[in-house]
Amino acid sequence: MSHLLDRLNFFQSKELEQFADGHGQVTRESRAWEETYRSRWRHDKIVRSTHGVNCTGSCSWKIYVKSGIVTWETQQTDYPRTRVGLPNHEPRGCARGASYSWYLYSANRVKTPLIRGRLLKLWREERKTKSPVAAWAAIQADPAKRASYTKIRGKGGLVRASWQEATEIVAAANAHTAKTWGPDRIFGFSPIPAMSMVSYAAGARYLSLLGGTCLSFYDWYCDLPPASPQTWGEQTDVPESADWYNAGYLILWGSNVPQTRTPDAHFYTEARYRGTKSTVISPDYSEAAKFGDLWLNPKAGTDAALGIAFGHVILREFHLDRQAEYFENYCRKYSDMPMLVRLDEQDGRLVPGRFLRAADLDGTLGETNNPDWKTLAFNEGTGELVAPNGSVGFRWSEKGKWNLEEKAAGREARLRMTLVGDTDHDQVVGVDFPYFGGKATAAFTTGDTRPDVLTRNIPARRIATKDGEALVTTVFDLFCANYGLDRGLGGDWVTDDFNADVPGTPKWAEKITGVPADRIIHVAREFAENAEKTQGKSMVIIGAGMNHWYHMDMNYRAVINMLVMCGCVGQSGGGWSHYVGQEKLRPQTGWLPLAFALDWSRPPRQMNGTSAFYAHADQWRYETVTADEILSPTAPKGDWNVSLIDYNIRAERMGWLPSAPQLKTNPLEVARAAKAAGQEVKDYVAAGLKSGSLQMSCEDPDAPENWPRNLFVWRSNLLGSSGKGHEYFLRHLLGTDNGVLGKDLGQEGRQKPKEAAWHDAAPEGKLDLLVTLDFRMSTTAVYSDIVLPTASWYEKNDLNTSDMHPFIHPLQAAVDPAYESRSDWEIFKTIAKTFQEVAPEVLGKETDVVALPIQHDTVGELAQGEVRDWKAGECELIPGTTAPAYIAVERDYGAIYDRFVALGPLMDKLGNGGKGIGWKTQAEVEALRKLNGEWLDGPAKGCAKIVSDIDATEVILMLAPETNGEVAVRAWDALGQTTGRDHKHLAEAKEDEKIRFRDIAAQPRKIISSPTWSGIESETVCYNAGYTNVHELIPWRTLTGRQQLYQDHLWMRAFGEGFVAWRPPVDLKTITAEVNRDAKEDTPHVVLNFITPHQKWGIHSTYTDNLLMLTLNRGGPVVWISENDAARAGIADNDWIELYNANGALTARAVVSQRIKDGTTFMYHAQEKIVNTPGSERTGKRGGIHNSVTRAVLKPTHMIGGYAQLAYGFNYYGTVGSNRDEFVIVRKMQNVDWLDRPAKEA
Amino acid sequence: MSVVIRDRTLKALSLVLSYPTAELQQAMSEIGGALAAETRLTGQARRELRPLVEALGQGDLYELQERYVALFDRSRTLSLNLFEHIHGESRDRGGAMVDLLEMYRAGGFEPTGWELPDHLPLLLEFLATRSEAEARDTLAEAAHILEALDARLTRRESAYAAVFAALLQIAGPAADREAVAELVAEPETDPDDLAALDAVWEETEVTFGPDPNAGCPASRDMLARMDIPVTPAPAA
Repeated sequence: MSHLLDRLNFFQSKELEQFADGHGQVTRESRAWEETYRSRWRHDKIVRSTHGVNCTGSCSWKIYVKSGIVTWETQQTDYPRTRVGLPNHEPRGCARGASYSWYLYSANRVKTPLIRGRLLKLWREERKTKSPVAAWAAIQADPAKRASYTKIRGKGGLVRASWQEATEIVAAANAHTAKTWGPDRIFGFSPIPAMSMVSYAAGARYLSLLGGTCLSFYDWYCDLPPASPQTWGEQTDVPESADWYNAGYLILWGSNVPQTRTPDAHFYTEARYRGTKSTVISPDYSEAAKFGDLWLNPKAGTDAALGIAFGHVILREFHLDRQAEYFENYCRKYSDMPMLVRLDEQDGRLVPGRFLRAADLDGTLGETNNPDWKTLAFNEGTGELVAPNGSVGFRWSEKGKWNLEEKAAGREARLRMTLVGDTDHDQVVGVDFPYFGGKATAAFTTGDTRPDVLTRNIPARRIATKDGEALVTTVFDLFCANYGLDRGLGGDWVTDDFNADVPGTPKWAEKITGVPADRIIHVAREFAENAEKTQGKSMVIIGAGMNHWYHMDMNYRAVINMLVMCGCVGQSGGGWSHYVGQEKLRPQTGWLPLAFALDWSRPPRQMNGTSAFYAHADQWRYETVTADEILSPTAPKGDWNVSLIDYNIRAERMGWLPSAPQLKTNPLEVARAAKAAGQEVKDYVAAGLKSGSLQMSCEDPDAPENWPRNLFVWRSNLLGSSGKGHEYFLRHLLGTDNGVLGKDLGQEGRQKPKEAAWHDAAPEGKLDLLVTLDFRMSTTAVYSDIVLPTASWYEKNDLNTSDMHPFIHPLQAAVDPAYESRSDWEIFKTIAKTFQEVAPEVLGKETDVVALPIQHDTVGELAQGEVRDWKAGECELIPGTTAPAYIAVERDYGAIYDRFVALGPLMDKLGNGGKGIGWKTQAEVEALRKLNGEWLDGPAKGCAKIVSDIDATEVILMLAPETNGEVAVRAWDALGQTTGRDHKHLAEAKEDEKIRFRDIAAQPRKIISSPTWSGIESETVCYNAGYTNVHELIPWRTLTGRQQLYQDHLWMRAFGEGFVAWRPPVDLKTITAEVNRDAKEDTPHVVLNFITPHQKWGIHSTYTDNLLMLTLNRGGPVVWISENDAARAGIADNDWIELYNANGALTARAVVSQRIKDGTTFMYHAQEKIVNTPGSERTGKRGGIHNSVTRAVLKPTHMIGGYAQLAYGFNYYGTVGSNRDEFVIVRKMQNVDWLDRPAKEA
Repeated sequence: MSVVIRDRTLKALSLVLSYPTAELQQAMSEIGGALAAETRLTGQARRELRPLVEALGQGDLYELQERYVALFDRSRTLSLNLFEHIHGESRDRGGAMVDLLEMYRAGGFEPTGWELPDHLPLLLEFLATRSEAEARDTLAEAAHILEALDARLTRRESAYAAVFAALLQIAGPAADREAVAELVAEPETDPDDLAALDAVWEETEVTFGPDPNAGCPASRDMLARMDIPVTPAPAA
């Protein structure tokens, strides 16, 4: 309504009463128009919360609530101020986050528990006469009944159920599974706890109390950069976004900050105002490209070659022709460059071998503790061999010498970097380096005909070892040779000319990447010059564009090498900024006990997701990559010709990687049998494995005993977003309609695995039950048997942290959960309670046998200096040393709920800790008893309560050094015992600070410095990774204790990754003559490299079914292709196109754009197939998701374990699910069929 | 005091649009009777309600529930939350729901249970307690949504369409044609008509400033004249 008619425009009444000495005036006009604004802004209360999205932007929002309904929201602007001279953090919160909120009332919301109608009918029928567990058992025992609901997964048929009924089915299924197959057949998948850590903990705690298996995600998402644990022994640690502002030179490499890190992008802009120069490296003209002073657009997948060329220039100009003093000192102290490497003879030639160790020498240089794990160098002053402080041997069973002081055996020791000086080497020898450049597939070849081994001259010293004379040289000398740098030693494959086409030079890289050599030289010089002038303030921001390739380690190590050469790591404004999959759960050590029920039993069952899905979705049955395709021509002799799953099996057997399930026999039965035999569990299992009476599950993934039976998915869209090999998931794990177009190894008659048992008929539908907790009907929910409605971000209390800023932030229940939904914490509590009620029918107090691989950051990481397989008779089977440890764990299945809601006794008894240090925590447990209250009776008598979600947050906050200053000081003190240095000063100023949930509800709080992380929180520097290594002289957690640029493990050398190398993308062979019907039928099509970046029109990697986002884009799935490729395939913009290969097919609209580089196609990650996706002409099924054309391929080097930094940790090291080496056939669709028909029975 | 249901037809339609339960099944003959006796509905409208009444009364409960979930819980375009069709996922939705809540409160009721205030069966139940005139006016305000749902359900050959046809008759005169057409055309298109699909997906051309092909000729001409500089800029 217009108010114009009620208002005077030209007059003012003279009768008006005045007040306040004429300053105020009464009016008689209608003020109804103000009502519009009053009702627009009305609210009863304002609540702080955030969006627990997997971007972990962790942005503060004000939620306005009226009458229990969220009426609107605005960005909060009250972050604690930054120090003088640094821009503030706000505004945080992007438009996508804002649009996300309205899922709250969206029609996509799951309102009530949903169950597949057929399953519910079966259940009710059985329940008329049977107890819950017996009812579930009866359904499972009848293949026809089971198939009646598993085969229609994804085809609708859901009905509503009550919470009571839904949770009873879940609990009964869990109890039956634990009893029949073993608790480790109950799987759970939930990613990125940092985005809502209590919600993650809810499911993980339930599963861990049961003995179920939690699957990792960071490696599965391929967001884990294995190069980080390889180089630093650190999962991932990165600078906060504010530190971009301190950089003098910023390279954005395969990262699209303005698009994917929107709330942080302002620091990038502000840095440019400050004068920071920026180069953007991206194959496409990305949003970030326009921010760059320079834009380099290499061919996708060739980044390692570019990085090596940068390194070539930097080494030449700053380390060889001139030694920049800062760089030299940095590399000597903080990298493995001075460490000595043995040159091994192999078939009459020399190759780089292991690091020289103290144990190699007679007398072990006087080192009696772990001499096998102490690396050696020459002391520059005396010329003597020394075992400098800081290597991993000093970390364990020794105190005071695990530090980076320039000392060895208590004396000063300045290490010699190179043996190139005439008097420093005995001879110059030719050493073989593998060269993979000639192996490129058609799409990447440059016509390179160089041999696959390049011999380069190296200065070497002869030294006496306990087994005779050995040749040694420094890492630096090998490193320079690997970069193709001529050092006046003569020989081939080296040069001093940047424009010579020799592997390593800018000219060489120009051919591979397409980036002109002069630009490569220009950027390398600028990057290094800035670092020299600013003492390391050159930074590289890296995105998934670099990490999602099969040879991601080469991309990363090429960059890391540059940063180390220039002394950037650990310096504010410099270093490695990997923002891919935000993993930083800042109060980690407070959260771990809650999440994995470490307060009740240890260890929990944790499994690396990639290997699990590879095995259980039967992706291994279709493996096209053989080991000899990726093996180095310089590999030491060995049985390398086995398939990739065989490598994984060996890794599990040797205790490197975890297993799930673990043994073919139910672990509860194993414990019973051990007891009956009067043996300790570990001895019983060892004997059984040796005799063959016990078998590891991994050796036969398709045997019904070894299937995962129940799977929980929460806070995740496993099937719609992250499930590489989507169609294999559907076929084998779910057993429903799928679009797999290729054939398996058996059908193709290719070489089958040696270690993994082959069944000609592959199982379809391994899961008895798939349960998803979500607040919206995601693709995963659509395929689930049971969907439980969960609370969204304004409906629950939780914690949220990010690596992008140093604050801890709450999620708060501004309103009650809509419809019948409940928070994840309440849901799992309910399930636990129901389980406790139904399980005693079949389970009581039981002993479980948990297999534990050799863990990162434990003394176990010194277990295997050599690779020995007990099954091959190469060593004895010693659990925990040459095989997984087998540990007896007590379970009380009648007290799962009682334990769930209580902080168990082990925190008092065993204390807490992380990253290799431990501390007592009785005081915190006592404080929690007082804060949360304590149980007065029952199985948890005397324990602190953890009933509500807020109670759970208090447990995390109280136990974590990051949020409890007293604990932080204690933790630093514990670390100081090992390093022999006092680090307490980093937290002492905050000793009295204890952050509570209500504190962060009032304002986000900056966390307290803790030894869990390698950066510090301070008023003088921003958070930056590696800061305490450089400034507190705490070693990196690697073999050498330094940033380790040479990887000497046998498998690393065998697979050619001792040093960085340019390795072209692997050939996945998914476009066969049989699959490519368009080639056969000679119809227009084009074959393109398939890339899946994060998008602008979705909420990070998960949510794209949001109306606002869909409206802003094209309303459904789209794929981007270049103008030239589109023309070749006869495709016009907005045409319906189909992408397919042996893995499956997907359908989408074409976006034809000059932005895209020829030869590649983009499909932005995670566009839901439930939104406007027609059927595929190739599969006849609903067009798939981006992962319909991918399949996970494992890499053996990621399986290495028991070897210092190369040791397994959950989400820390392990196989990763790369997906960017994939190619697809792109064609225009002829018929768009929406399949709007009732589904047919499979 | 027991609340007086003044309009048993609206209450019946509220029930018919609720999730099918065993209890509802048993009550269907009574509900069917109430609907059959409603004189505000034409004979045809009453006849068309019969198949639904019969299905709800006699069909397999699991099938009825599966169908209900597929239609109303799973299909955004058939959501029974009225504001889904007006505000979608925009921020105005919260405020609109508060208005509705206040209307219920002013009417002397507090919603219980977990449905949102804009849930159609909930609104119908409320209207069943109001005067016929008030119910008619309120329904008339939502007529374009009711008509769109009627059209969509008819297209799906769903028996539930009859409920919306009945509601429209109770609401009185036809809804705003334009609003209905907009709603009906927008989200659901004929999957077989590719040209129509393309039209839906077509991005509109962006024009800056007054459209040269329409609008005020004076300003258009003025602007056109501005395109030719009176004095050309000097060469650089």
